[in-house]
Amino acid sequence: MKSGLVLSKSMLSENPIAMLFLGLCPALAVSVRVIDALWMSVGVILVLVLSGLAMALLSRHGEVDRGSAAAGLLRALVITSFLTASFEAGLLSLAPTASAALGIYAPLIAVNCLVLGRGMPGVTSPSLGSSVAAALGRGIGFAASLVLIALVREALGAGTITLFPVGGFGGTIEIPLLVEQPVRALGFAGGGLLCLGYLAAAARVISGRAAAKSAGKEAA
Amino acid sequence: MSWVGIILSFALVDNVILSRLLGVCPEVCAPGGMRTAAGVGGFMAVLMAGSAVGGWAVDSQVLVPLGFTLLRTPAFVFLVAGLAFALRALSARFLPSLLLVTGVSIPEIGINCAALGLVLITTRAEYTAAESLVAGLAAGAGYFLVTALMTAIRERLEVEPVPRALRGFPLQLITAGLMAYAFMAFDRAFLSRVLGG
Repeated sequence: MKSGLVLSKSMLSENPIAMLFLGLCPALAVSVRVIDALWMSVGVILVLVLSGLAMALLSRHGEVDRGSAAAGLLRALVITSFLTASFEAGLLSLAPTASAALGIYAPLIAVNCLVLGRGMPGVTSPSLGSSVAAALGRGIGFAASLVLIALVREALGAGTITLFPVGGFGGTIEIPLLVEQPVRALGFAGGGLLCLGYLAAAARVISGRAAAKSAGKEAA
Repeated sequence: MSWVGIILSFALVDNVILSRLLGVCPEVCAPGGMRTAAGVGGFMAVLMAGSAVGGWAVDSQVLVPLGFTLLRTPAFVFLVAGLAFALRALSARFLPSLLLVTGVSIPEIGINCAALGLVLITTRAEYTAAESLVAGLAAGAGYFLVTALMTAIRERLEVEPVPRALRGFPLQLITAGLMAYAFMAFDRAFLSRVLGG
């Protein structure tokens, strides 16, 4: 195997920020409106936390030590795909409009969670608390990034911010000036990729600074 | 839709990567040269065609007659992952050079959303078996095309001065984003012009 491949692989699979962005890719298509991003985030957090719980319970019974990596992948596939199907069914009966807006991207929550859940402590440590906390942390990181991208894309690309309709509030905030002349390009598929690219670069700069600061503290 | 319409829309107009944003991740981070791109693209084309036909069989022959449509997601996830494992085993047996060239672990490809998303699209549109096969092959061709273009662009960008924060993954995403804008030239108007509709 080429050394470049090994390097990028280890960077991608061992760097939590890169993993977060890998998990974000399948969700980009629902970042055109804030409300869709919020529903997607709800699904991902629910499925991640519940699958973390299920994994921890399984490992408590000593099921995880046995079997190979393929068996582990199979277990993750079973758990996440059935949880996703349950979420889809719940969404369809409780919020049919949200279910229609997510479309084919609701079943893809399964893939999202498989990518996001890789290497989570639930697989190795049988502690319920730590595996649920890790799943929740990743889920919240995912939700925050996705909603941020959706905010940028909807506010600039359409001049609106769509949220849940509550009482007299219709659910859509219109931003003056932008709503008349929005940057429509951001609403297209390419806009999502651009936003994710710049967000990934920003995250890299910020985490690099934080690492430099902590290294400086240790030296002092 | 006519055959030409299906081919054009799955390969170009609704390109899995650039328009539907499926399978961006392995696309963006798969390093390596043109040989890798060709290997991954070919593998994905076969996987997508197989998944589309398999999805048709599972959905219209098993799940819908039995009324188990709620089980679509698990069924399709297992279908795609199983096909990916089978393809990997087959290529390890008959085409070991392919695995050597791509060097990608197949579970990663198997759980990528391009094939799963394609199955969801073709079954929701209620395509027949032949239409699913053609759509899968066309989507695979579109995937291959974008992989090759991205690899060519990356090879040129490697020798350019790029801000350090953007190097690698972010730059790949931005490249893909700009290419998605370029692919907007293939829109519905293009399709109707070609089809003469």
